[in-house]
Amino acid sequence: MINQIQKKVLILALRAGELMMKSGAEAYRVEDTITRICKACKIPYVEAFATPTGIFLSLDQGSEDSDMHTFIKRIKGTGIDLEKISQINHFSREFASTDLSIDAGLNRLKEIAAMKPYALLVRILGAALVSSFFALIFNGDYKDFFCSFFIGACSYVLSILLDKIDTNLFIRGFCCCALATFLALTCLSLGMGTDQNAIIIGSIMIFLPGVALTNAIRDTLAGDMLSGATKGIEAVIIAISLAAGVGVTIKLWTLLGGVF
Amino acid sequence: MFWAFLFAFCSTIGFCILFHVPKKHIVSASFIGACGWLTYTYFIETGSGNITACFVGSCAVALFSELFSRAFKDAATIFIIPGILPLVPGANMYYTMLAILEGNSQETAAIGTETMLMAGAIAVALLAVASVIKLISQVGRNLLTWLR
Repeated sequence: MINQIQKKVLILALRAGELMMKSGAEAYRVEDTITRICKACKIPYVEAFATPTGIFLSLDQGSEDSDMHTFIKRIKGTGIDLEKISQINHFSREFASTDLSIDAGLNRLKEIAAMKPYALLVRILGAALVSSFFALIFNGDYKDFFCSFFIGACSYVLSILLDKIDTNLFIRGFCCCALATFLALTCLSLGMGTDQNAIIIGSIMIFLPGVALTNAIRDTLAGDMLSGATKGIEAVIIAISLAAGVGVTIKLWTLLGGVF
Repeated sequence: MFWAFLFAFCSTIGFCILFHVPKKHIVSASFIGACGWLTYTYFIETGSGNITACFVGSCAVALFSELFSRAFKDAATIFIIPGILPLVPGANMYYTMLAILEGNSQETAAIGTETMLMAGAIAVALLAVASVIKLISQVGRNLLTWLR
């Protein structure tokens, strides 16, 4: 028989771990958080194993007649939400240092889980900012600035739509970059932009696998080879999808006799 | 130089919005991104290769992020992720693709290798700085307990 308190601790710890993993935290940080929460609830034996696709957690009360309990949480879908990571980090420290009850902790986690990213319009503006200023960095002029501002916003909206219908990583990167390149070439042939390279580089910058790359390294550094390898493969696949999207569109554009 | 700083600063603000960096950290994270990019352009202009510049830029980002994460008592990831993104070799990836389309296999190999090495440089820089800082803080802690 599992006792009720232990079950609640399990739920709390797994929920926190799941939220962090879904927000793009590193494996060692997730394991740390889970262990810290369980230790705070006076469970002496805790073993957590986190990978980007699932979390395994074993608990033991330590007494002679107690059973050992193991739970598995499958994690589907990843995103990046640094605010959530920061909040859960603070929460776990707070939970460990003060005597917050388990129910209060669960409520707090619910609040964190319900946190929304910035408003859609602000995010679109953010994407537009990224692409437009990157166009400037890569020697674009003011015309390219406005072109990539518009293109960045459009391709980000497409990526949100594709997210809604649960497409996979590769298709999303491919479609968004294909759209960005297509719009860039259209802008150029209409005479609205001057530098093809600046506009396209700026527009694909939003989709680059920088996060996957960074996390892959940090995981590997922490000794989580499995998570490191998983994220590394993710980074490579995203990079290939972006390159393919750009390449296929440019090739088709020239084949169909566009102004290239 | 000033313009490079400003452009990188603004685009990192964009990344901060996309990745939902907490509001109070947006300015500092963007500052880190701009510093990393500034270091990169400085080394490019003084004649270093892309890979060296990328390595030093990433080192700057990682170093600042570790410092800021200790100053603000928050996870270093919050600063590293938006800060490193301007350095990720998106432009080189694009030029590799162009070379493939032109059927210029020599150029493809050259730029493609450089792209991969730049990504590797970022990786090594982050790894090196994190390990050194971990080492220093561990030695410092041991020294403190030893002194007591």
